[in-house]
Amino acid sequence: MSNEMLRAKGLHKSYKMGRSVVRVLRGVSLSAKRGEFLAVMGASGSGKSTLLHLLGALDLPNRGTVEYENRDLFGLPRSARRAYCNRDVGFVFQFYHLLPELNALENVLIARLITHSAGSWMGARRQSRADAGELLERVGLKDRARHRPSELSGGERQRVAIARALVNRPALLLADEPTGNLDAKIGGEIMGLLTELNEAGQTIIMVTHDAQVASRAHRRLQLSDGVMSEGGTDRR
Amino acid sequence: MYKWFLAWRYLHTKLIAFFGVASVMLCVAMVLVVMSVMGGFLDTVRERSRGMLSDVVLEAGSMQGFPYYEEFETYVAKHMSDIVAVTTPTIVNYGLIRVPDTSQTKPAQIVGVRLNEYCTINDFKGGLHYEEYFPGTTTLAKQPIAVAGLDPNTEKLSLPPELEAANRKWQESVGDPEEIEKYESLPYATSAFPKTAAPYYYDRVFAADIGEPKYEGPEHMGLIVGSDVLWDRDKQGGFKRYLARGTRLALTVLPLTPSGTLTGEPPVRIPLRYADDSRTGIFEIDSMCVYVDFDMLQQKLAMDAQEKIDGGFTKPRAKQLLIGLKEGVDLDEGWARVQAGWLNFLATLGPNVDDGDMTRLGFVDVYTWEDLQRPLIAAIEKEKVLVTILFGLISLVAIVLLGCIFYMIVEKKTKDIGILKSLGASGRGVAGLFVVYAAAIGVVGAALGTLLGSAFVWNINTIQDKLAQLNPALKVWSPDVYSFDKIPEVVKQQDAMWIAIVAVIASMVGSLIPAFLAARVWPVKALRYE
Repeated sequence: MSNEMLRAKGLHKSYKMGRSVVRVLRGVSLSAKRGEFLAVMGASGSGKSTLLHLLGALDLPNRGTVEYENRDLFGLPRSARRAYCNRDVGFVFQFYHLLPELNALENVLIARLITHSAGSWMGARRQSRADAGELLERVGLKDRARHRPSELSGGERQRVAIARALVNRPALLLADEPTGNLDAKIGGEIMGLLTELNEAGQTIIMVTHDAQVASRAHRRLQLSDGVMSEGGTDRR
Repeated sequence: MYKWFLAWRYLHTKLIAFFGVASVMLCVAMVLVVMSVMGGFLDTVRERSRGMLSDVVLEAGSMQGFPYYEEFETYVAKHMSDIVAVTTPTIVNYGLIRVPDTSQTKPAQIVGVRLNEYCTINDFKGGLHYEEYFPGTTTLAKQPIAVAGLDPNTEKLSLPPELEAANRKWQESVGDPEEIEKYESLPYATSAFPKTAAPYYYDRVFAADIGEPKYEGPEHMGLIVGSDVLWDRDKQGGFKRYLARGTRLALTVLPLTPSGTLTGEPPVRIPLRYADDSRTGIFEIDSMCVYVDFDMLQQKLAMDAQEKIDGGFTKPRAKQLLIGLKEGVDLDEGWARVQAGWLNFLATLGPNVDDGDMTRLGFVDVYTWEDLQRPLIAAIEKEKVLVTILFGLISLVAIVLLGCIFYMIVEKKTKDIGILKSLGASGRGVAGLFVVYAAAIGVVGAALGTLLGSAFVWNINTIQDKLAQLNPALKVWSPDVYSFDKIPEVVKQQDAMWIAIVAVIASMVGSLIPAFLAARVWPVKALRYE
């Protein structure tokens, strides 16, 4: 069995901005191995988030492919692509993107709820709550489980987002500037958490503009003007 | 599963949900109130108009009536006793009613009835005023005037013993001391002459004297007047009875020959005594009809058996033959049997029937009571449909508003849609979330609206009274106009259920377009939305 988990080949993506077309990605290719912590670095507007969205199947490329476990994501039927988003990948956003009406525990559970019908949820409810509670404990938020996002700090919100990304035990965690909205201390804590997860076997692809944050990764790639280049060495 | 969970959360955490619930609630309440009041109005008219007739009516095509009604009664008794409970003939004619004491003259529709039979065939008895307080005393037969006087034993003003005994029977049947006390406290009129200019009016109006209670004056046949023929109403809907029971009245009628021409005799004046007043609750009937004895009227109108110039007698005539069906007999089936029976009966009459009589029999039709009251019922039915359509249109506006509210919700929740989709939720699932949310708003709004509407209808008269206390101009229901004392205050469960179901469906329909739009949003686009 190949150790390669994800491979992107020749990704092109452009957006229309009024009359002009902005070419964000111009033939980007990358691959990630199982258990790897990969950082994609780049300045603001370099196309990092766009790349991550394509890797997470949240958007469609104009050209190119993304293969996950040797399956072309954009050749899959919609339902299989949704299952990929829900079970194979966990997404951590820069702005957390938590649902404001739900408390921390429910925000974690929502990813699990999406996989279940009303009938199957009855059987899985107890275990799911236990799993979500355990994850919140793991990210240090056991006592904040009943708090809504508005009652949590930025760092706490990001921890909830990480717990949500992990609740379906995805093989791949995609993190989009996970510390971009946090101060250095809290950002450090979040990176510590990600490193810890990676050491426990979690594959992570992270995009960041911060070289210090990227230094936690095994491998760093540089994205500039929509073109990818090797940007660093293995930290181990 | 997340659809139900999030819909529930949105429902009780979003202020905007409150507006959705409020608009559904108000629409449901509004339509329920309109349908209940108009439906109640219609039901009351139907019920009361039925009360004046019988299930099936055999009616002559013209005023001079039709012959052989007695023979047909015998035929019915012999051949249709399995479905027919009772038959009674009536005469309907027009004339003038006069109150000699006041020289007041009015046009009237004169109905000749056999009171005992008439009261068994419909609810006429229930609408008689004095019959309620003095059961068994209302008659169309010959009668003098009862004069209240001082009882030598009790020294109290009282009526002759038969009337006092009848009143005691009423008191025993009522049992409510408060109601009895209220009635007892009402005074009698204080002179034999009715107080035409009296500043007050009373619910029991008898002539009174300082002598002993007695009957006096010549005996005349009785007359029951429609409650709105002679009396005006007060603001509470009560009648200003200013004539004492037993007061002399007179009817003037114009007899017709069997062929419908005038007999050549002068109009007939019939002296009568005011025996009671009747209230069916339908203004058109109560403001026009007076009731007298059938046989007396038949004779006065020369509709009884008259000697012919060439020998023999004409056949007595009636305008209608009322046929009461037995309990449980279907109206349409009963009508069909009577119709067939009538045709069979005509076939049995043979060649001896006078040509003129045959022509008159040819114009006799068999109707159900609904057929005869169709113009009255149809008008109110149309009114109900019209008002319901108008309020339905208003509700349509509410549905559009609901659609707008949902559009705003979807706009506001675009980011949530992005989050859910990035977590693997399908477009159909996200659309379902908003439809479930709309259904939840619809269910809550419909339930609250049903409660609000029902509470409003049940208390509509109290609410109106309170409003009228604040400003008399706010009293919208005038018993004087509508004939009913009260606004109908019955909510039909079936109506309430249908309105609620339509409201829930309407809410869901209102959410469909926004839900469809939500389903099409790409997660990345939605996540970028600020």
